[in-house]
Amino acid sequence: MSTTTVMKPSRRKGPISFLTILGWFTAILFFLPIAWIISTALKPKNTVLDIPPKFVFMPTFQNLVDAVSFSNTLQYFVHSAIYSFTSVFLAIFVAFLASYSFSRFKPAGTDFLMFLLLSTRFVPAAAFVIPFFQLFNVLKLKDSFLGLIIFYTMFSIPFSVWILKGFMDGVSTKFDETGMVYGASRWHIMFKVVLPQVRSGLVAAFVFNIIFVWNEFLFNFQLGGLKTYGIPVGLFTSITKGGQVDWSFVASIGTLYVMPLALVIFFFQKYLLVGLTFGTVRGEV
Amino acid sequence: MTNSALEVKGLSKAYGEKSVLEDLSFSAALNDFSVICGKPGNGKSVLVRTIMGLEEIDAGQIFVRGVDVTNADPGSRDIGYIPQSFALYPHFSVRENIEYPLSLIKASAEVKAEAVERVSELLKITDLLNKKPVELSGGQKQRVAIARGLSKSTDVYVLDDPLVGLDFKLRERLIEDLRLTQEKLKVAFVYITSDPLEALQLAKTVLILAHGKIVQQGPLVDVYDTPLSLPAMTTLGFPEANVVSGSISGSTFKSAIFDAQVDITGNHTTAIAGIRPEGLLVGEHPGTISVGAKLTLMENLGSEFAAYVDVKGTQLVTVISRTDSESIKALESGNLTISIKPEAITLFDSVSEKKIGKGVSRV
Repeated sequence: MSTTTVMKPSRRKGPISFLTILGWFTAILFFLPIAWIISTALKPKNTVLDIPPKFVFMPTFQNLVDAVSFSNTLQYFVHSAIYSFTSVFLAIFVAFLASYSFSRFKPAGTDFLMFLLLSTRFVPAAAFVIPFFQLFNVLKLKDSFLGLIIFYTMFSIPFSVWILKGFMDGVSTKFDETGMVYGASRWHIMFKVVLPQVRSGLVAAFVFNIIFVWNEFLFNFQLGGLKTYGIPVGLFTSITKGGQVDWSFVASIGTLYVMPLALVIFFFQKYLLVGLTFGTVRGEV
Repeated sequence: MTNSALEVKGLSKAYGEKSVLEDLSFSAALNDFSVICGKPGNGKSVLVRTIMGLEEIDAGQIFVRGVDVTNADPGSRDIGYIPQSFALYPHFSVRENIEYPLSLIKASAEVKAEAVERVSELLKITDLLNKKPVELSGGQKQRVAIARGLSKSTDVYVLDDPLVGLDFKLRERLIEDLRLTQEKLKVAFVYITSDPLEALQLAKTVLILAHGKIVQQGPLVDVYDTPLSLPAMTTLGFPEANVVSGSISGSTFKSAIFDAQVDITGNHTTAIAGIRPEGLLVGEHPGTISVGAKLTLMENLGSEFAAYVDVKGTQLVTVISRTDSESIKALESGNLTISIKPEAITLFDSVSEKKIGKGVSRV
């Protein structure tokens, strides 16, 4: 009879290493600006610029209430939500179809097409701004959700196709073929057989693109208008209300602005890794 | 029109310059277990894919139940299909996987429940129905895949090397299950494999696939005993048949290691002799051709040994029973005589590899 005890794999215990401390220090350093924004949003207005800064204070929600009730703030949030979510959902739908086609039918020159698709992201955004501005003026798309949604959808598709193709390639064509033999349509195979197996790719593509579109400033500023400005532009135009920078206002909007994304990333962070590696570490999810 | 469950006529398929299937024809009857056996790289997968409609063909026709399905969609061919790699849908439970072919034709809940019960009892997987494929072992997955292939009642089933990669014991069990299943359902099973043992264990009718063609089709015993070509002999049988080339002079086959009297048709100057391992005996026996040999390898097959011997630089293999202690002793002694039964020799043309004659018994 063997008396060997089976050790369960566990987190390594023992003295905290230098590297662990360094890791924590770096993480905190990166979190400091966010911490500053949140703490400023919660500080009473008159203590915001105190030197030395107050780390212990009685938190107040008055700044947040003020910021939300200030002129167009709520509208900016609604605008951001409309164009961000609509365009990213649309982009992922289109990218899903495109990546299925790239992965399964392998049209001639697939590699080159994939390269071409991503090349729209090679050029700095500033180079596109003027042509797009003129185009949107001619097409009367300026300051319309339709225009912004078209633009952001177009901008979100390439990266989504790249992420999703990686995932699709990981799903054996045997699944498609078995379905076909049993009489399934291509449509059925795409949505009932393949889609459930690339769900983490869809989430990863969604998270990456929503981060991008939610934060996008330049094109929203140039192609949008009062009817369609989102939070980044709204924050920029309201920053100097009353003639000087109102830091409590900036921090409050910033806090509210960061929340939806922080929640999305917190809940879906496990998909970010697989997304970044284009589905090659699927086992991690 | 034809009465076969599945019939293929003059099928050809090439990829660019490379021809994979060439004018291939065969038919599989209802209530028969047909095994298509071919060595790896002989176009088995392509053949399955063309039968199922997953691959377009360059020439030829495919009939299912006498109906030409050459250009029909895979789904409309109504063939039960068990793919090589289980291809169980990971997001479905075992039950949903088995029901899947029925769900696609929008069968009622009762029909589905009845089918699941029928096939899960047949394959003894009733206790797995609520599990997900990821929770199953390899053998269980294969059973589920077979159950899914059988769930939709039809009369033609194609099984694409379904036991490949499974462990030995499991294969033995599933082979038994498959045979019984076919006997119970009285349908056409077309089973594709590269494993001669599977072919020998399963087939009622065996079809030898070599060089992109079905080179021989017939009842298992006939094909095994009377191979009409060299590939038919070497493909079916384990260990693989011995092959010795030589020349013909009159009615004598002469090779570097033995000479034999043969009965031959046609004019030939060269030939290839094929001898199954059981045509070689250890020690001297009356009425045989004896040659001196050296043992190179003994392979334990359980109830028997495969003994590989070297005869003047040519490697031959024979099988001996585990209880044949005399032969085992002789093998181990090193100084060895191997006897070739002349009637076990089959002669093939060196070019066409077709059968041209047989060895003649000395008695």
